[in-house]
Amino acid sequence: MSFKRLDPEDFLVSADSIAAPAWSNYSASLTSATMVTHASQTGGPSGQYYTNVYNLVESNPLAEAQFAIAYGDLKGSGSFLYNSSIPGLSPSRTVYGQFMNLLFGEDENAGFNYGGPVTNNQTFLAIVVNRARYKQTIKPGSFQLQLSSLTPLITDNSSITPTVEYTNAGRRYTLGSGSFGDGVMPAGSTNGVYGYLYPDVGVIILNPYAIGGSAPLRQFNNNGNDAVTLEGRMTRFFLQSEETVTSDFIFCRARNAEFNYSVNPSFSVSASAGSILYNDFIQNPVTYVTSIGMYNDNNELLAVAKLSKPLKKDFTKEALVRVKLDF
Amino acid sequence: MGYLNNSIVTVDAILTRKGRELLARNDGSFRITQFALADDEIDYTMWDPDNPLGSSFYGAAIDNMPLLEAFPDETQAMKYLLTTLPRGTSKLPILDLGYQVISLYQGASIAITPQTLNYLGGTQTYESSGYVATIGDVRLLSNFNGVGINTAQATALNSTTTLGAAVSKTVVGTTINMTATTTNALFPEGVTQLSTSLIVVGRDSGARIVIPVQLNKNTNNC
Repeated sequence: MSFKRLDPEDFLVSADSIAAPAWSNYSASLTSATMVTHASQTGGPSGQYYTNVYNLVESNPLAEAQFAIAYGDLKGSGSFLYNSSIPGLSPSRTVYGQFMNLLFGEDENAGFNYGGPVTNNQTFLAIVVNRARYKQTIKPGSFQLQLSSLTPLITDNSSITPTVEYTNAGRRYTLGSGSFGDGVMPAGSTNGVYGYLYPDVGVIILNPYAIGGSAPLRQFNNNGNDAVTLEGRMTRFFLQSEETVTSDFIFCRARNAEFNYSVNPSFSVSASAGSILYNDFIQNPVTYVTSIGMYNDNNELLAVAKLSKPLKKDFTKEALVRVKLDF
Repeated sequence: MGYLNNSIVTVDAILTRKGRELLARNDGSFRITQFALADDEIDYTMWDPDNPLGSSFYGAAIDNMPLLEAFPDETQAMKYLLTTLPRGTSKLPILDLGYQVISLYQGASIAITPQTLNYLGGTQTYESSGYVATIGDVRLLSNFNGVGINTAQATALNSTTTLGAAVSKTVVGTTINMTATTTNALFPEGVTQLSTSLIVVGRDSGARIVIPVQLNKNTNNC
């Protein structure tokens, strides 16, 4: 027999959390030199709504979008109106509604509460991390942003908060000053917190008034007066992705009397006759396991694993190999 | 392709093309129920029973050899299965299909009844569990099925169809029926013969044979 049936206890399903730098090429952080915009995107139709930030310049074919920045405003300011005769309707208003829907769902009266003046709550800057960068979720505590207009570093409060707040968009952490997860309310701040981190949807909301220094930092689109941009003030951006990899572990047991002969053509003197290569192998055959195949009932090869070096097998040895199959 | 790092023992498995196909089919056919071991890449002629350092060194040329990464092509992986035979076996089972090569014209049919030589003391026998036959490119055949093994799994396997790309198809039976396709579209301009391979494995013995399959264009059909 060459195929051995697996028992139910030979299977184990395990889920492991894997964290890694979010940015391309596993860079731990992006710097002002590796956060660039592409004129073809900012000047195109999508530039009305968001600005993509890439790791490399436009002429480099290896450039990959890392994240996007969008500006939302309840009153539609910061963008040219769709129609000059209809006030308040502009791309920034569309972005505002989009994020309200995403983050607050059916609660029409909900909104951000930065803890400062109420009017501050009607506007935000959103950093939307590319899905391929954050994989399943942003790792809380890994977010740290340095702006040229702000002395403190911006980070979330995941390391120090005793409870996790759950919203329509999953977990939410408050952004404050500090480093890597110990963000606290900035001392003397009259504009409230720096924003919020929504790790499960890969979104970071920033309070333009709190991070702007002397004046609110507002993102104007390509149709507006592009005076001050968020990406232009970013000097260092740390972020890690986190994903849960579900693995099947399959324990393959080869008993001492099993798998000691091979149909490998070099195991016999001649492939057409089948006589075993060495007389010693007749009573004491030795084989080397290099591959393990996983089959269904129909003997279809579904998955294959290779050992990193040959595993010797004979009548005096038993082998237990754990095969890991990731999904 | 690359060499695996052999400083640590790793056994991460990858899905084969067939595995991906069955996973996408989502009909329960992707269900691992059994395993097999193989010794692809091993050349047993490097076993040195005359090594002056003794038996611990007979396999020195094999023990630490680096191995290639796994191939996702299910027809290229698990070529040489390790098999369980009674101790003292002096001859290994061998498959005989009765053909060295299968050459079919469009629309022609053939039935193959594999036999196993040197198995369980018999010089020539049919394996009770039947044979697994895999055609490398199923597009070349309009019919490819196995008969003689009447389990539910074998019946389901023989009736499944995958359309489109050059994927393999596996059937189970004691007799394998093949009918060449009549489709001319597979033949590029100026090409009159297409080739693939037929892999047959004894389900009991693990013996394996690969023979080429040639599909010849009926030029009078053009």
